[in-house]
Amino acid sequence: MLRDITLGQYYDTRSVIHELDPRTKITGTFVFIISLFIFRSAAAVILATLFLVSAVLLSKVPFSYMLRGMKSIFFILILTVVLNMFLTPGITVFSFWIFKITDEGLKIAAFTAIRLIYLIIGSSLMTLTTTPNNLTDGLESLMSPLKIFKVPVHEVAMMMSIALRFIPILMEETDKIMKAQEARGADFDSGNVIERAKALVPILVPLFVSAFRRANDLALAMEARCYRGGEGRTKMKPLVYKKRDLAAYAVLFFYLALVIASGILLSRYGLA
Amino acid sequence: MRDCHGIGVIRRNSTVMGIVEAKDLVFEYVKRDEEGNAEGFVRALDGVNISIKKGSIIAILGGNGSGKSTFAKHINAILYPGEGSVFVDGKDTRKPENLWDIRQEAGMVFQNPDNQIIGNVVEEDVGFGPENMGIPTGEIWERVNESLKAVGMYAYRKHSPNKLSGGQKQRVAIAGVMAMHPKCIIMDEPTAMLDPKGRKEVIRQMRALNDVERITVILITHYMEEAIYADKIFVMDEGRVAMQGTPREIFSDVEALKKLRLDVPQCTYLAHVLSKEGFTLPKGILTREEFIQEMVKHTGGRFYSGSLEGVSEPKKPSHYTDPGRSKRDPRESLILDHVNYFYEKGTSGEIKALNDISLQIGKGEFIGLIGHTGSGKSTLVQHLNGLLMPGSGHVYFKGQDISDKKFNKKDLRSSVGLVFQYPEHQLFEETVFKDVCFGPKNTGKSQKDAELAAFEALRAVGLPEEYYYSSPFELSGGQKRRAAIAGVLAMKPEILILDEPTAGLDPRGRDEILDLIKDLHEKQGITIVLVSHSMEDVANYVGRILVMDKGRIIMDGDTRHVFMRYKELEEMGLSAPTVTYLMHDLRDRGFDIDPYVTTIDEAKREIMRILSPGI
Repeated sequence: MLRDITLGQYYDTRSVIHELDPRTKITGTFVFIISLFIFRSAAAVILATLFLVSAVLLSKVPFSYMLRGMKSIFFILILTVVLNMFLTPGITVFSFWIFKITDEGLKIAAFTAIRLIYLIIGSSLMTLTTTPNNLTDGLESLMSPLKIFKVPVHEVAMMMSIALRFIPILMEETDKIMKAQEARGADFDSGNVIERAKALVPILVPLFVSAFRRANDLALAMEARCYRGGEGRTKMKPLVYKKRDLAAYAVLFFYLALVIASGILLSRYGLA
Repeated sequence: MRDCHGIGVIRRNSTVMGIVEAKDLVFEYVKRDEEGNAEGFVRALDGVNISIKKGSIIAILGGNGSGKSTFAKHINAILYPGEGSVFVDGKDTRKPENLWDIRQEAGMVFQNPDNQIIGNVVEEDVGFGPENMGIPTGEIWERVNESLKAVGMYAYRKHSPNKLSGGQKQRVAIAGVMAMHPKCIIMDEPTAMLDPKGRKEVIRQMRALNDVERITVILITHYMEEAIYADKIFVMDEGRVAMQGTPREIFSDVEALKKLRLDVPQCTYLAHVLSKEGFTLPKGILTREEFIQEMVKHTGGRFYSGSLEGVSEPKKPSHYTDPGRSKRDPRESLILDHVNYFYEKGTSGEIKALNDISLQIGKGEFIGLIGHTGSGKSTLVQHLNGLLMPGSGHVYFKGQDISDKKFNKKDLRSSVGLVFQYPEHQLFEETVFKDVCFGPKNTGKSQKDAELAAFEALRAVGLPEEYYYSSPFELSGGQKRRAAIAGVLAMKPEILILDEPTAGLDPRGRDEILDLIKDLHEKQGITIVLVSHSMEDVANYVGRILVMDKGRIIMDGDTRHVFMRYKELEEMGLSAPTVTYLMHDLRDRGFDIDPYVTTIDEAKREIMRILSPGI
């Protein structure tokens, strides 16, 4: 289960997209997702397709990698499509027993499917082209205005980065503990739900004990290296916008402007 | 206060005072009962006086729970003195304004390599300290590159720490401390979790640090061999400094050290046992070279010719023979037949972890399994009780194929007990007794039978009865390990496999566990497979050695035959016991001595033999 976490999926091709500042990529993804959900015209979909396809091409990441993220939402995708198709009122184009498919239903189902797929591809593109560290740094920097509202932005970012470091270690540890208990005759594969849940106790208790021990060790090690929170800390790799980031923001702005313009024009001439 | 670099700090009395000065240091932990109410105090440090000279290497020795780690944490101002005082470079650790200066000046490297690396990339981790100190970006990079080059890890700067070996991780940790430009570095058992190769890397690094950068090193360790490089040794016991002096002075008193749960280096010990036999060598011999010189001096050059002329050719067993082969009954054995195993099969990262392993483990054998980290030992061991199934080939237990559908795996799990490394980390029940019952209950035993088995196992491991009903988390390290071994023993295994059962224990704890294993073998007739990094332990206890490298069994034979091939072992990152090397050295100097000796006892007899030819 833990192995499916997509965050560690970084795929290095050193493309232009990879080289962008993480803040640019986070903002870009965010804007793209919003554009998907606010504007519902065919023109907007075409623009979004163009935007996404060119970004994917620029990233040089194989398309199959983008689709991997799709597996997890496949069921939701099918469900929304089916529900939209059958439950939207409108002119019936096809009917079967008590089910009927309307033209409006088909249209909405198609739009929803496209949106969901684009959403997944868009965010996969971000995680595939940005290292987890960069992502954390970018989030920390983008969210830093929230500090005014006493949101512990630095601490949250530090927690994320430590979690990233320790997920593989704890996974290995889980594996080891499971094996050790299996060697003592524990059985995790048979029995009913309650028995299986009970069988987890010999794994979870040692795992928690170990996680706390590690947390304690790590806290000591951090303190010993003068860690005292984000205050007064300098950065080894400060985020600096480069020219290509400006270009990327320009493209993003242009895309947004086009989408908005298409929306306004289409609704004014009643074509939507 | 943010300015942590220590520039411009006036060093008072630094010529008079040592870099670390502990005076009448007392520290107490509050002991709490289950509800969290204070029950009383445990005195971890009890009047410690230690003065450490700038630029020296200091070793602090002591058994588990002697207070040495607690003392180390005082130098770094992680703990503050309850009574008395600690001054680091003339600064009082109790004064809050000194805190960050002290933490920068006295860096610390901890035991567990995983739990002290914060960054997800090597270079970022090394930069963590300087970032906290508020150093400008450009200078951080300079410091990081400089420190990584100093520990020889520059080539790995872009790597993920998870992909490094233990020794490499510890070197990164050292670089992380060095990037803070400390005056003194405290290493709290930095080699305890490493294999011999990693251990050597770290110790070499530590000495270079002291030699080149003139940084004061305070090394806390359980390995006596590492302490001989120290300028001064402090031995701690029950929160006090029990002994102090140069390595030669300290290791002269073998009996006193043994009482303090410690040990002496191998050569020192050999000289000591020879003295007991009436052949008196000076006390406090530390290295092989010293031993040889004393031997030459002592025998008045009688045996010393400086060449091998006149020295008879040693009786070298010409061909490898497996002594027990004919004795093994296949119907009673665990047999591996051309076993292969792959990790990540079918992907680009495919690793052949086991490569055509054929092996027979007979009833009643005591086998040592050696090999560096990643040689395939753990994978092999997991095949022996069916935790892993062979990718190809067969595993037979008492004539039955364990891959057979009819084969009962639960029976195999109880017949072949496997004690993992740090087995105490798998304890989970409320009481030790319940935990030990876990195994037998899983195999379908009734409550009563399980309890009987648990009692028997707990008695066999020698855990005092008063601990049976306490929480496993309240026991000391050595006792926890006993309890965990009992948990496997309660399943009444015929074969017991132990993966580094002595890791992290002090010398006494180590000997106790090894003696326990020997007892199980001799008194209960349990077949033992001991996975170990210590060639001395293997030489002292086992009858047959398996050597693994790159997923293959390279050698399989008795101790003498395997360690005879020490040159090949070295190529695999392993070695022979120290005495074997010593005997070879002696022979090279013209002593007519059998060089294929593997234990101190044999070495003693051999030296006595050539010294008193009449007997």
